[in-house]
Parts: sequence; structure tokens; C-alpha cells
Amino acid sequence: MALGEGNPPDIDEDLHSRQLAVYGRETMRRLFASNVLISGMQGLGAEIAKNLILAGVKSVTLHDEGSVELWDLSSNFIFTEDDVGKNRALASVQKLQELNNSVVISTLTTELTKEQLSDFQAVVFTNISIEKAIEFDDYCHNHQPPISFIKSEVRGLFGSVFCDFGPEFTVFDVDGEDPHTGIIASISNDNPALVACVDDERLEFQDGDLVVFSEVQGMTELNDGKPRKVKNARPYSFSLDEDTTNYGTYEKGGIVTQVKQPKVLNFKPLKEALKDPGDFLQSDFSKFDRSPLLHLAFQALDKFIMELGRFPVAGSEEDAQKLISFACNINDSSTVGKLEKIDQRLLHHFAFGARAVLNPMAAMFGGVVGQEVVKACSGKFHPLFQFFYFDSVESLPTEPLDPSDLKPINSRYDAQISVFGAKLQKKLEDAKVFIVGSGALGCEFLKNVALMGVCCGNQGKLTITDDDVIEKSNLSRQFLFRDWNIGQAKSTVAASAAASINRHLHIEALQNRASPETENVFDDTFWENLSVVINALDNVNARLYIDQRCLYFQKPLLESGTLGAKCNTQMVIPHLTENYGASRDPPEKQAPMCTVHSFPHNIDHCLTWARSEFEGLLEKTPAEVNAFLVNPIEYASAMKTAGDAQARDNLERAIECLDKERCETFQDCITWARLKFEDYFANRVKQLTFTFPEDAATSNGAPFWSAPKRFPRPLQFSIDDPGQLHFVMAASILRAETFGIPIPDWVKSPMKLADAVSKVIVPDFLPKKDVKIVTDEKATSLSTASVDDAAVINELIMKLEKCQKKLPPGFRMNPIQFEKDDDTNYHMDLISALANMRARNYSIPEVDKLKAKFIAGRIIPAIATSTAMATGLVCLELYKVLHGGHKVEDYKNTFANLALPLFSMAEPVPPKVIKHQDMSWTVWDRWILGDNPTLRELLQWLRDKGLNAYSISYGSCLLYNSMFPRHKERMDRKLVDLAKEIGKAELPTYRRHFDVVVACEDDEDNDIDIPQISIYFR
Amino acid sequence: MMSDYKVEMINDGMQEFYVHFHGPSDSPYHGGVWRIRVELPDAYPYKSPSIGFVNKIYHPNVDEMSGSVCLDVINQTWSPMFDLVNVFEVFLPQLLLYPNPSDPLNGEAAALMMRDRTAYEQRVKEYCEKYAKPEDVGAAPEEKSSDEEELSEDEYDSSDEAVAGQADP
Repeated sequence: MALGEGNPPDIDEDLHSRQLAVYGRETMRRLFASNVLISGMQGLGAEIAKNLILAGVKSVTLHDEGSVELWDLSSNFIFTEDDVGKNRALASVQKLQELNNSVVISTLTTELTKEQLSDFQAVVFTNISIEKAIEFDDYCHNHQPPISFIKSEVRGLFGSVFCDFGPEFTVFDVDGEDPHTGIIASISNDNPALVACVDDERLEFQDGDLVVFSEVQGMTELNDGKPRKVKNARPYSFSLDEDTTNYGTYEKGGIVTQVKQPKVLNFKPLKEALKDPGDFLQSDFSKFDRSPLLHLAFQALDKFIMELGRFPVAGSEEDAQKLISFACNINDSSTVGKLEKIDQRLLHHFAFGARAVLNPMAAMFGGVVGQEVVKACSGKFHPLFQFFYFDSVESLPTEPLDPSDLKPINSRYDAQISVFGAKLQKKLEDAKVFIVGSGALGCEFLKNVALMGVCCGNQGKLTITDDDVIEKSNLSRQFLFRDWNIGQAKSTVAASAAASINRHLHIEALQNRASPETENVFDDTFWENLSVVINALDNVNARLYIDQRCLYFQKPLLESGTLGAKCNTQMVIPHLTENYGASRDPPEKQAPMCTVHSFPHNIDHCLTWARSEFEGLLEKTPAEVNAFLVNPIEYASAMKTAGDAQARDNLERAIECLDKERCETFQDCITWARLKFEDYFANRVKQLTFTFPEDAATSNGAPFWSAPKRFPRPLQFSIDDPGQLHFVMAASILRAETFGIPIPDWVKSPMKLADAVSKVIVPDFLPKKDVKIVTDEKATSLSTASVDDAAVINELIMKLEKCQKKLPPGFRMNPIQFEKDDDTNYHMDLISALANMRARNYSIPEVDKLKAKFIAGRIIPAIATSTAMATGLVCLELYKVLHGGHKVEDYKNTFANLALPLFSMAEPVPPKVIKHQDMSWTVWDRWILGDNPTLRELLQWLRDKGLNAYSISYGSCLLYNSMFPRHKERMDRKLVDLAKEIGKAELPTYRRHFDVVVACEDDEDNDIDIPQISIYFR
Repeated sequence: MMSDYKVEMINDGMQEFYVHFHGPSDSPYHGGVWRIRVELPDAYPYKSPSIGFVNKIYHPNVDEMSGSVCLDVINQTWSPMFDLVNVFEVFLPQLLLYPNPSDPLNGEAAALMMRDRTAYEQRVKEYCEKYAKPEDVGAAPEEKSSDEEELSEDEYDSSDEAVAGQADP
């Protein structure tokens, strides 16, 4: 945190902040030094190149000897019809270069020699014969240093990846998670020793983890920094493989921290691994025996191409049989893992689709392979070891396909038609799709649907909406945006970029946030016309809202999300699956207020405090002052009406800001900042430790300052401390901004700033008896509290009016809203300085500005690879939804973590069936009640079903609750009138019904969830 | 059921309301009545309700100024299985019966309780007398609404903004 310390110039943190949050600086630097070869520039090559160029490697070399065919346009987002006939590598350069100017992109268009591979740290082949692959891999494996070799193919609905990172590859970080920590409560003198931790948070240690100890008092032998092994890991304790019998007796304190261990992997070269593949990475337990079969299938395809010089033809029974016989031959001659039986039906599908590269498969594997290249270049995350096979045959139409339906029709969708048939293609083109959100997921989805031809027919219509504008930090993964688009509407820019990928796309871009307020835009007609909704959102509330709308209009919803290297997808299909809101993650735990206010024990607590102080000082108080200045009379009367403690507090802050702490010159701002420092980091701590001395005991005699509480010590200000000086600089600059005072250049010179700070006279502080700790000391001592609130407020308003007279006419303050993504605005400087000074008070390790920004700015880590994969997986499901008629077991929900790597696919959960008497229903059902009923009639109607309604609501308004006697008066009123009057329902003439939510009990007083009830009133 | 409690709705809405809460009889808070502002977040019951004392209370775990409760059971260990009624039948009575001065939000109250229990209880009673008499909660913060039954409807419009600000500091 040294003053003027810049970040090394090699990382553009504004551009890469979301990715830095995943990888960290070290990994990014290694990436920036890496040269990568991508051979084969069809759909898969293009996706891999996109992901790596966005990530920011040093150079990408594209190799392809072939030329663009119309067939390629089913999966390659770079090419258009005009590129047909050009060399694939050459035709790709310009558009890829636009994604990131700092990556050097070059091409190779002639046959590769293995010697050329020595220019690269990693090489990727997406279209290579096994014979050639073995030769290249051998060279890479034995090269000094080894070159990481990746071979990947997507053939129809089948895909494969093989990795060989050399004989001894070191992984620095096997999972990408922060080291786990615990706060110690006790350690026994025993063999083995038992370590107990406070029960605030569950421990995440596993047996065999290595940990180090620090700050242990009493048993100081453990503080030597030596890693020790955990055993018997439990939620709040673990054992140490160590005899502590003769160590000092544990007194208090101590933190235990996991030490992450590097891991060395011994990769086998391709030649050996083909024969003895070892364990395959599984993706779906319902397909546990599929990987060995696909291992054979890809080898058989290679043999087919070698012998016939072409791919099998879609729908050709003869070609399929030939491929199957190759597979059988290879199986018969294999020595390890020979298969008992070969699934001929599956190999049929494999043969038929072999020539096609499908966009969703390319998107998914582009993500997987892109991540493997990052691992190869950086040692971050665990590599795929070594084979991965995947298929999505469930995406095929449910009925058998007629070979004539698979024939090319000389269109850009020919490859896709060869797999799914022209009938499904037509359905895709005529679909009406709503994509909600145009961020990272949205951009990828737009590319995918454009390439698949979804909404590209005459009947088709794609609506995309997003109310956000493009920021620089978006550009490292939202690949439809360029730097000249910064500040423009996301949806508009993305839509026109998507239309240039496929000019047939019928797309409308809107800037409305999907929420109850925009139901006039997204009205009933809009919803009723949709075929499917695709969520591309970044927050749970919006997802829940769209989920409710889809539930209401009975529309399929394809949901996905990413977090760093992790992604998940969830299919919500009317009547087949549960809805999105049916199962939810527990919300994130927030630190209790008292912890944040006075007893922080980690940097998150300090940062939460810092953000709230920032907001109070620079945003809320100036806004309060302005509220007064704009209209003093109205303000005063509002305060008098409120008449409560909150109003008084606001007034006091405003007065303080305009009176005692008013700044007129920059020197005033420095004084203010210096005194704030004294108040925050010295006086308040002195007061707190005066009220609760280090040896204070609670009522039952236990020490007050026991774990997890940490005893604070005041800071002594020194101009020689760069962190402290930095605090004064950031605070005074921002203070000056709120007062509209020009900021002199000299403030950025530490010497001159130090001079100015030294001039500030700091009064001595004496702790007071009986003052409050948590809120400001100035707030309420009992004597003032006992005075009538109204009188105090009157007095304060008079004071405020007096202050106003001293201000220049038209004076206003400039409230500052926290903006995390501008590196030059001093916001994060102040917040990280506030948090770090507080951390110093409590001897909590400090963090750098970048880390502070991730935590305080709640920056969600995000990378292009996992996003691309999520959208690929969703689009494999889109084929099923738009075809229709699939069973629930054909659909797949996925959870994946590219860091491990882990793929876990499973059938969606069916909706919960509720049974009552002889009825049953699910969340997808709705009850209908006609004839414009009264409240009494509705209650009776439910009574007849054995249901006792106790609460009826319309939207968020309560129409009836049995708890309120007064609501009984509403019994004989028409429900529609109650909805209009109390619920403020607007029911235009075209509306014939509205919906109410009813809470019911059965006769045994058990709550019964019943469907929404539609009340028809016309 | 919450029907055993006196509840005031805000605007017929279902997410914010007040509940009248009586100090438990074996505690120095006996005789005091508080209006508790309850706000159900969008994610309720997955997220805990937010609870605040509207009239003043002297208590180590309640912020004197804002009325916010620093109650571990509510903020930290809330589970969707808890019923709202538990807040009033279990959590709040426990809080008033057994304050936890080791996690104070009102440090002065905590320190006083640890040092001089009698003086602390005296102070609690003074506050009850001053701020938590039944008539203090009977009337809404403003003078104009006198009839409680009427609070549930439109007249309340203008006031709920101002009251809404109180619970969350």
C-alpha cells in the first residue's frame, strides 16, 4: 500500500478485473507470457481462440490448410457467406484481433512440421489424424521444456479431449479456492493433540491437509510456521499428528491456516494413453460405461477417414456399418479394457453426425479446452487427466430421422441439418425466443442462436432486453462488445453484432429491466407468443421474477449461471420439472452488526465497515445537506413530522458537516482527514478499550476479549507511514470533491502532503465514562435523550438554518456514489485505507487494493471459458425444448467446475405433487373460478374442497386475513372490487381475469400449498 | 399463528408490519411494551426477517439509536424452518431475559451490565418508564392516527416511509 505504488503495467486491471478475481496476478502474468498454437479453425478452433484471446495470452497462432466451406457456418461465428473459399486461418485473423489488441495473432497456412511446435508453450489440435497427433505429441512430450499438447474434436453430438502436459507437470493450485482458516478456541496437551475452533463458522479442512499456526498464546511451540498435518477433521475441531504433552499450556488466541500444496502430475504420451487410457473423466453417472465406447468410436472414425479419405455420410447405413466394424476390430485387438458388447445404436448416431461441427458442442468444448490451455500455461487449476468424452444424443429428435431429411440443402445450416434433420431446423428458425440479459451469458447465447438459425425464419422473433450499458470491465468476456462501444446500451450493440454473425436473425433489442414495472412492455400477448425463455442474468431476484412469469404463462425456461470457473444450468419445463424458485441456495451469511461495528476479526468485516463509513461520510451526509439546502422549509417540516431518533441523527450530521467540519480550503480537507484518522483509529479504540479493558470479564466470569473477538490497539499517526499518509490523501481529495474545492497537484507528492498534515493540531483525547460504543459518542447521552425529541429537533433545525446563512448563495455539496471500477477516482483507495487501518487496530492481516476491491465491490469472478461452456450446454437443451415431446429424463441439468475439472449432469427434479383428499396438483397448475365471485363465495368454494383459507393476497397486497376482524366486513364484496380498491389493480377492458394467492389450512390445521387462483370477472 | 399478537399492517402490504411485544415477566423489562417493526425480505423465509425496536429500549444487544437488534439467532442461524411466531415467542423473550453482553451493540449497556447489575436493571426500568409504556405504543409515531384499527389502511400512506427508515441503520 505504499504511496504512489502503481501496479505493474502489464495487467490492465480495469479490463481484466473479473478475470483477475479468478486467476490472481501471478497466473495472469504467466498467461501474458504464453504463446499458443491452435490448429484447425472450424467452429471449435474459433471458440478456443476467442476464449484465449479474451483471457489475454501473449500470442495465438492460427493454423489451417483448408478453406472456408458453407458447411462451417453452422458453428463458426467468425465466417460469413462472403468468406467461403478463403483460407480459414487467414479469414479469422481480423475479427479475432478485434477482441483484444494486446494479443499477437498470426497464421500458418501450410503443413506443420513438428519443429515449428517448439515456438509454443501449448499446442491445440482440433482436426488431426491420430497418426500425426502421436508424432506431434511425442515431440512435445520429450521437448525441453515439455510443450503442453491438447487434442480435441467435436463430431456431431460427440466430443473428446486429450491432454498431455509432459512427464512432470507441476500444478500450483489444484482447486482455485482460498486457503481455509479457523479461529482457535483451545488446544490440548496430548498425543495426538486436539485443536478446537470457535463455532462461528464450520471448518473446511480435510484429513491430510497441511496447516500452519500463528498468534497462539501459551502453546507457542506451534507458531514456528512449520506445516502440520490434519487428521480426524470435524466441523469445529481436528487432531494434529503431533505430541504436545510437553508443550506450553494453551492460553488463548491463535489462527490456523491451510497451506496449499503443489501437485506433480505424470502425463502419459498419446501413444501409450490410447492403448491404456486409465480413468476417464466422467460427466454423467447414467452414462458410466460410455467413455470406453467413445474412446473406440473416435479411433474407428480416424481409421474410416484414413481408409476412405472422407467422413461417413449422414444417414448412410453402409458407412455406419463400416465404422462399427472398424470399432469392433480395434476392440478385438486391444489388450486393456476390452468391451464385452458394443452399442451399435450409439455408433450409428456417431457415424451419421461425424462430419458436422455443431455450435453448442463447439461452445462447450471451446470452454473446456480454453481452460486447459490456461492451466497448461500457468499451473493454475488441476488439468484434465487425460481423456474426456462427452455426448448429448438426447438432443436428437424423439422420432427416428428419415435419411432424406438429413441431406444438405446448400444452406449455412447444412451441418446442423445433417444431424437433426430439416424439420427441426424449421422449428428452430420459426421459434419466438426471449433472452433476458445481454451480459456475458447473453453475448454467448446470441452468437449460439444466430449460428443455430434460431429465430432466423420468417416466423421467428428473438427479443433481448438489458437495461445496462457497456463498461470496460465487460470487454474481457462479453465478446460482442468493443472498446468503442463503452457507454452504449448492451442489448443494442449485442443485437447488431449478432445480426452480423447471421444476417437472417430477426432480433429486437430492448433496454427494459425485466421486472414488475415493465409488465406494460412484456405484456400478456408478448408472453403468450413465446416458445421459450433463456435467462442470461446475474442476480437471483431477476431470475426469480422471470421464473414466476414463466410459471404463470407455462413457458419453458432455460436457466444458467457462472461463478469463476464454475457453472450450472437448470432446465425448467412446464409440468415436467420443478421451477427455478422451488429449490434455492441458502443466502450468503452476513456478519452480525456488532461484529462489524466494534469487534471485527477478519478483513471482510473491516471492509464492510469501511464501505458503510464511506457511504455515510461522502454520500448520505452531503445528500442530506442538499436535501435541506434545496428546500429548507419542506425539509424542516419533514423532520418535524418524522420526529424520531433517525431524523435527529440526520440533522446532527448535516449540522456537523456545515458547521464544525465545514471545509473551505484544501487545507481544511486535510485537517478533516487527519482528525478523522485520529477519531477512527485512535480515539474510538481508546474509548472501546476503556469501556472494556483487556482483562474485562463477562457476568459469568469468562474473559470478555475471547475468540473470535480480537483486542484492538490505537494507532499512532506518523507521516512516515505510507499507508496512513495514503489515507489522508484519499480522504482529503474526496472530501474536497464533496465541497467542490479544487484539488491541488501537490497533494500527490508525499513530501508536500506530509508537510501539510504536520500542520494539523490534534487535540488530546480522554476516554469518557458511560458513553456509548457503537454509535457516535456525540449522539445521545441519557440527559439529552430524556429531553423531548420534538424540542431537540426544533433546536437542531434552528442551528442548521444559522449555518445556512454563512454559506455562499446557491451552495450545494456533491454527494459521491461509490464506483468500484474507476481506478483513478480514489474511492477504492479510501475504502482500502479505511479497512487496512482498522485491520491494523485489530492485528488483522491487511490486503492490497485489488483484493479490497474484489471484496468491498462484491466483484463476481468471471471468465470467458465457463460462460461459453454454460451456454453451449443450454443450447444442447434448446434443441429438445424447441422440438418438443421429450421426456424429463432426456433433459439434463449440469453443475461443472473447470478448475477441478468436474462435470456433473443429472436429470431435472420433477415438480412436487401436492395431494389433498382425492385431488393432486403441482406448481404448474392453476385453479379457475368464474362468475365474478365475492370474497365469501371464494372462501366457500375452497371450503367445499376441505380447505380453510386464512389469507388472500393480490400481488403484495393483502385482501383478506382471518387475523383482522375488520376484514370480515369485506365478505360480501366482489373480489374484483377489493383488488381494484385495496390492491390498486388496474384491469383494462381487455383483461377478463386476475390472480390471487391463497394460504389455506386443512381441517387438521396443516398448511396446504394450493395453486394460484384465477378469478374471472367478465 | 400470529393471530395471538397485535399486528399493524402497513398499507395492506405483506412484507412490513409492526407487532406489539410485551417484556417477559421474569425480566427487568416486565411491564414494558414495544412496537417491533418486522420486515420480511424478498427471500423470506430463506433469509431472516429484519427486526427493530421502534420505541427505545436499554439493552446490550439493541442499538439505542436505531433499535436494530444484534441477535445471533435471527441474523446468523436463521433457518427457513423457523416460524415468524418463534421470533416473538422464543427469540425476543430470550433476548430480554438473557442479554449477551459479550457481543454488545450498545456498549454502555453491556459494560454497565457486566460491572453493576443493579444499576443496569435500574436503567432498564427507567427506560421502560420513559419510552415503553402501553400508551407509548398505542399511538403511532404521529399524532394524527389515533384509531389503531385504522392504521391498516390508506391513511397510513404518508407515514410508513418515515417509519421505514428506522429499523435499518
